[in-house]
Formats: sequence, C-alpha cells, structure tokens
Amino acid sequence: MKGLRNILATSVALAGIALTAPAIAEDGPSMDQLLNDAVSTGDVLTYGLGPQQHRFSPLDKINTETVARLVPAFAASLGGEKQRGQEAQPIVYDGVIYVTGSYSRMFAFDARTGEKLWEYNHRLPDGIMPCCDVVNRGAAIHGNKVIFATLDARLVALNRKTGKVIWNKMIADYKAGYSATAAPIIVNNLVITGNSGGEFGIVGEVQARNVETGELVWTRPVIEGHMGTLNGKENGITGKTNATWEGDMWITGGGATWLGGTYDPDTNLVFFGTGNPAPWNSHLRKGDNLYTSSTLAIDPATGVIKWHYQTTPHDGWDFDGVNEFIPFDAEFKGKKMKLGAKADRNGFFYVLDRTNGKLMNATPFVMQPTWASKIDLKTGRPVYNDDNRPGAPGTAEKGKSVFAVPSFLGGKNWMPMAYSPDTGLFYVPSNDWGMDIWNEPIAYKKGAAYLGAGFTIKPIAEDHIGALRAIDPKTGQIKWEYKNKAPLWGGVLTTRGNLVFTGTPEGYLKAFDARTGEELWKFQTGSGVVGSPVTWEMDGEQYIAVMSGWGGAVPLWGGEVAKTFKEISQGGSLWVFKLAK
Amino acid sequence: MSFTRRGFLAGAMGVGCTALIGSPLGAAPLARVKELGVLRVGLYADNRPWSWDRDGTPAGIDVDLAMAIAEQLGVKSEIALFTADEDLSDDLRNVIWRGGLLGFRRCDLMLHVPFDMQLAAREDQVVFVAPYYREEFTGLCSAQTRDCDQPPQRFVGSQIAAELDSIPDFYLVGGFGGILRGDVRHYPTGYAAALAVHDGEAEMAVATRAQIEASLAERADSGARLRKSPLPMIPSAGWDIGMAVREDSRSLGFAVEEIVAAMASDGRMAALFARHGVTWRPAAATQAIG
Repeated sequence: MKGLRNILATSVALAGIALTAPAIAEDGPSMDQLLNDAVSTGDVLTYGLGPQQHRFSPLDKINTETVARLVPAFAASLGGEKQRGQEAQPIVYDGVIYVTGSYSRMFAFDARTGEKLWEYNHRLPDGIMPCCDVVNRGAAIHGNKVIFATLDARLVALNRKTGKVIWNKMIADYKAGYSATAAPIIVNNLVITGNSGGEFGIVGEVQARNVETGELVWTRPVIEGHMGTLNGKENGITGKTNATWEGDMWITGGGATWLGGTYDPDTNLVFFGTGNPAPWNSHLRKGDNLYTSSTLAIDPATGVIKWHYQTTPHDGWDFDGVNEFIPFDAEFKGKKMKLGAKADRNGFFYVLDRTNGKLMNATPFVMQPTWASKIDLKTGRPVYNDDNRPGAPGTAEKGKSVFAVPSFLGGKNWMPMAYSPDTGLFYVPSNDWGMDIWNEPIAYKKGAAYLGAGFTIKPIAEDHIGALRAIDPKTGQIKWEYKNKAPLWGGVLTTRGNLVFTGTPEGYLKAFDARTGEELWKFQTGSGVVGSPVTWEMDGEQYIAVMSGWGGAVPLWGGEVAKTFKEISQGGSLWVFKLAK
Repeated sequence: MSFTRRGFLAGAMGVGCTALIGSPLGAAPLARVKELGVLRVGLYADNRPWSWDRDGTPAGIDVDLAMAIAEQLGVKSEIALFTADEDLSDDLRNVIWRGGLLGFRRCDLMLHVPFDMQLAAREDQVVFVAPYYREEFTGLCSAQTRDCDQPPQRFVGSQIAAELDSIPDFYLVGGFGGILRGDVRHYPTGYAAALAVHDGEAEMAVATRAQIEASLAERADSGARLRKSPLPMIPSAGWDIGMAVREDSRSLGFAVEEIVAAMASDGRMAALFARHGVTWRPAAATQAIG
C-alpha cells in the first residue's frame, strides 16, 4: 500500500512541475499545492481531497479507537430564510473554511472559532427554474480567489479575503433553461466546469477558462455534431454528425454535464460524465445518442475527447451518466493497471482502463436492477430487458406501466463516493428504490396538451432505501453495507484512521469501521446531512467538517418514499468536530 | 354559463372544502384585489400569440384579456410573464399557490390554464374557472404544396416543422411507422414552426390552431394555407383553455368568470381574438351545457 502511495505522489509532483511552471499564484494556494492536495493534510484545497477525488485523507488521529471521543468544536449557521439543501463540501485553507450554500451563496468562517468572516449573496433573477432544489456543491480555490458556479449559470470568482467579486462570467443562458450547481475543478490554471439544465433543448458542454480572468479558453459540447472551440476558433466537431442520432434531434440532444469532473494528473485527462438524452421518450430517438449517459476523457489543454464509454446507450429511464469517474491504480487479474471506477445512476459499478476507456468489469451495486440483466464485458454494452423499457406514448390508448429499478433518481445520484488505498475498497452511497412509469393520457405543458409520463418512486425493501456499500473494485463484491431508512444523499469521506464518514437525512453524521462497516460514532446535527464531509489537521489536532441542511431532489418526490423523511426539518449549518481532550 | 361554473367548482371543492372551512381568508381575495387596486396576472413568457415579450412590453391575446378583466374589476393590471416549468402542475405551484423558489411572487390569476375535470381533481390548491377558448392541433402547408389536406406521411422527403417535445413532434416523429423521423425540423415554439413554412424553410407544420392562424395574419402574403381536414390519428381531440385562482380566492374566480362570460356573449371576446388574427372558438365546456 505504501509503495502505491509513493508512486502516486511522485507522479503528481512530476505533473505539477511540467504543467504549472510559469504561473505563480499570489496570496494563496498554487496549482502545485492543488495537485498535492491528496497528501497534504493541513488543508482541503480541492473538491474531493485531491484531483483524483478519492476523498481519502492520510490523517489517523481520529481512528477506530478514538472516534468515540469526537465532539463538536463549533457550529456556524448560514442564517437567513434561505435554508433548503446544503450539498456543499467545505474548502479549508490558511485557517479559513469556505463553504457554498443554497441559493448561490458563499461564506468564509474562521476555522478555529467558527466566526463568520464574510458572506457573498449572488443576486439571482427570479425567472430561473432550477429543476432539483437550489443547491450548490462547493467552491474551488486558487491564489487569491475562491470560485463557484451559480444557479443562473454563471461562474463567479471572489477575493478569498474579502468576498468581493474579481470576475463573473456567464457559462450559459439561464433564460434558455441552463443552471450550474457543481464544484469547479482547476487544471493547469484553467477552471473547468460543466453545465446543467432541466429545461428541454439544452446541450451539455464542458468549458475551460483562464483562472485569472475568467476568459474562455476552450469549449467542448458533448453531443455529436456540435462544434468545439479553442481560443475562440473552431476546434472540431464532437463525434460524427448523425452517426447515432436521426434527423435534427442532436441539436437539442441533452447530455448536461451537471456534476462536474475529475482530473487524473497521471494520464493528464479530465473525466466528465454526461446526462441523459432528450427527449425522454426513447422511441423518438433511435440510436445510441452519443455522447449522452457516458463518461468522456478530455484533454485538459484543448478540450478534445480522447475516449468515451457509454453506460446507458439509448437511455429510456432517465439514467444520466454524470457520476464521478474516480481514477485509481490496482492490480487487475495479476496485472498492475491504471483504472477508473464509476457507480452509475443505472445501478451498475463500472471499472474501466482509464488510458483507453475499455471496460474491465461491471457489476450491480444496488438490489435487482431490472432494465438490464448484465453488462456484456466483451461488447461493453448492457444486455437490455426489452420489456422493462417504458412504452411509446401515443401509440397505445394508455401506455402500459413498467416497474423499473433503479428509479430515475438512480442507484447513486450526485453524492460522491470515496476510495481508500488502504483497504482497496470504494465506499458508495447508494439507494435501493424503483419506479412505476406509465404514459399519462392527460397531461399539459405550457398550456397545451402533452404526452406526459407519470412516475412514482417506491422503496423495494422493507427496512431501508439508503445503503452505504463497501465495494471491491476488482470483483464488484460488496464487502459490507450499512442500511439507512431514508435515501442517502450525502458524500463520503474515508481516512487512514480506518474510518468512513457519511451523513444521513435523519440528521446524523456517522462514522463506520472501513473494514467491517461497524457503526462506531454518530452525532445529530439538527437537520438532514446531504453535504460531503472533509478532514484536515490544524494546531496538531485533526478536524472533521460537514454541512447540515436537508434538501436536494429527494424531498421533491412524494409517495411512499416521502414517509421516510417527512419529519426532517430544514437547516443550514456548518458543523466542525475534533477529539475531546 | 353559470351552470358550467358551478359544475366545475363543485369538482374542485370536493377536494378543497376542508381547507376552505378552516380558512378565515375564504372570501377575502376579490375585496383585497379591489382594495390594493391591482390584479397581478401570471402569463407564459414566449407563448405567441397568447403572451410574449414584444420589445420589453408584454403582448398577446392573453395580455389583452388580462387587461380587459382588470379594467372591468376597476383595478390596474400587473402582467407577470413567467417561464414554463416541466408541466402544468409545476406552473400552478410556482404562479398561483406557492410562488417561485427564487422570489417570483404569487399571482392573483393565471390565464391559459387547460380546463379539464380530471386535472381539476388532482390540483386541490387551485380553482379552475372561466374557460374561454377551444384549442386544437392542425396543419399549415406552404404555397407550393399541391394537396394541403393529404395525410402527413405523404410529405415524406420534405421538411416538416414542429415544436420540440410537443404532441405534434411525437405525432410526426413517432407516427406513420416513423417514416417522417428524418424530415422533422424542431423549433422552440409552435409559432416558430409555423413561421418556418411562411419563410420557405419547411413545407408543412403541425401546431395549435391559434399559432397557425396568428402566423397567417402576420405573413398574409406568403401563400401558406391552413389545413382544412383533421389530422388523422392525432392523439388529442382538442382541449379547453381557462384560468386558475388560488383555492381560497374563489370570490375573485367568480367575478372573473362573470366578466369573461359577458365578453363571450356580447362579441368582445371574438373581437379581441380577431385583433390577433385568431378566430375565437368557445370552450366546449361552455357549449355542452349552455
């Protein structure tokens, strides 16, 4: 294990030197420091604790023996009437904790006392229609700037000391239905972001901007037929026009890259997942509909796509493919390999060769996926259960109802998993639920008759919906699982202290033994935890921080699932913990 | 007319009556609107010819109708154009009974709400009133088309226009064994799809009758023609369009319904529609009983 870590650290350092020589960030973390975040323990500089986003910390003062003594150091409220879902991961640097809040807000708190240093309230136009709550997932830090994306599809860089705007750029037009909620990543002094939008007719895109000025450097639309750009000039069409789409449907093909990306310094690739295709009715868009519901490997210097892997070709269930692709190195069938893993909305856990996108293994990580019997390892494609594809509306009197697992909220939604190089396991926050889908004979949209679909999400087990699962990526075997009554909706953290942390909608931050899954500690934060925990060391003590504040997409869907969280109150607080002396 | 109203309100009341009895605000809204002197009306943005932003000013049939209603109530009108959400239920929540998550204030009245019993039974936070138009899908063909009334599949090989993700889209792309799939060009609205025929970009469009008639009035010289025969197998027989108020605002709903009924019977409604090139067609709900 130690050897592996050294190799990783070396390659990170080399990549850092090669890529960031000219730029010296003033008054704050440099690109080299960002690349080194996985091993530096005194700060949290990146979304995911390192560019590969393992969400693993080498800190071990808080461990299976000591975690029982973990107590709050302080809590800090985001205040105001604007509560709702708090999905952010804190950033920690130089004695300051930076968090983003619901309604496109950012806060800086003193990491030692919890006192608020400044607050930035982004002014949002009232015409925006965020599909899935008014959340934000976190900021990026670089030099004197903290940078985050807003619900009106802008990217805003603030002075990290004052909270004043340095630059503010439009990612896409919110009036056309675009939004943005993911944490940006920074690669070679470029801020790289995706886009989101529930509205029909949007096209997913990845963009890179100069971190100092916010000026656009490259764009890469993710639907075939669309032109990418580099320094304002055309830089090649994505895929081949009309290869996997008919007619002009590619023009509005969907594929929003709403969850952001990961970076692998080792292969110098950024990985972005793409959303499901539009329209929702798959019978209207024959073909694979590339590159929807896929993982794309992109050259961070030019925005050129190096490879793709499509998890749900010709999606018909709303299984978008945005989930994070996490690079890791491991021995696979006796061979040392550069791999990457993704726990997909569609309920399968994929392991790919990250140098070329070739499928190595794919196994279900939730109870009984119904839409495909398996993923064929030879072809890399799912073996569909055709009876489980929702029918074509308008062809039957009332479309038949199918019960599909997972539900459209996914075997795993946005909440990021963690990977421990110590145990070699991925810790995946998943949900066991299914959905009835049927064609709605009477539906209306914008005042006109419409062929809609009805959905009801239903639990599929008596005792739980949420399940935190430890998965061995080499075999797909589930080593342990923790079951939770309500759906899990928060990120995961794992540490050298042999611990796994995650939050629950019931309001707890919990710690588990990374090898056995035994629950060792919990603390009630007063509202649902749907954020991602982090850890760092300060003044010789190890700290844990997490956001509390119930919300996100889950409360928007009622029915039987709602019974599991109807008593949960809203909130909006940062909680910070350390060991009692 | 009054029979129609009571019939529909009864359906909504069955679901909402508990709240009504418990609410001291039950009868206030009409009085409050008059007291404040403003009727705030929510209308779809970008819904030509009904409501859209014409150089910074709301314009369209629904805008004129909202202003006429306010005038009859003796108050000023405040038109709030809003972006359509995924379906009507979302719009009713955002515009009528809860307001937007990001500060969009609730409206007293929303126009262009489909008037449908089954829908009313599902939406217990709002009351559906004043059906004022009968809408349906039809076709528009270019000056070059030899037979405007031929079945849509005969247009194979030429460009056909439809609003993205609409019934005309599903009908054209999914129907007729899918042979038109490669020929359908998608536009953001049905009105834009109709304009594509006038502009020579498409030979045929399927859109709502109001969208097509309004486009014909706007581009009278293009030679494009309205389809006369019904579209075979289109999965909608047409629908009524009415209005919605909050469940606790039925006094306002009654007053609006009286105004709309009077406008329908004395010819003002037909004249208002005619100014936008659209033939007023009374809602089926007002015909069936009245």
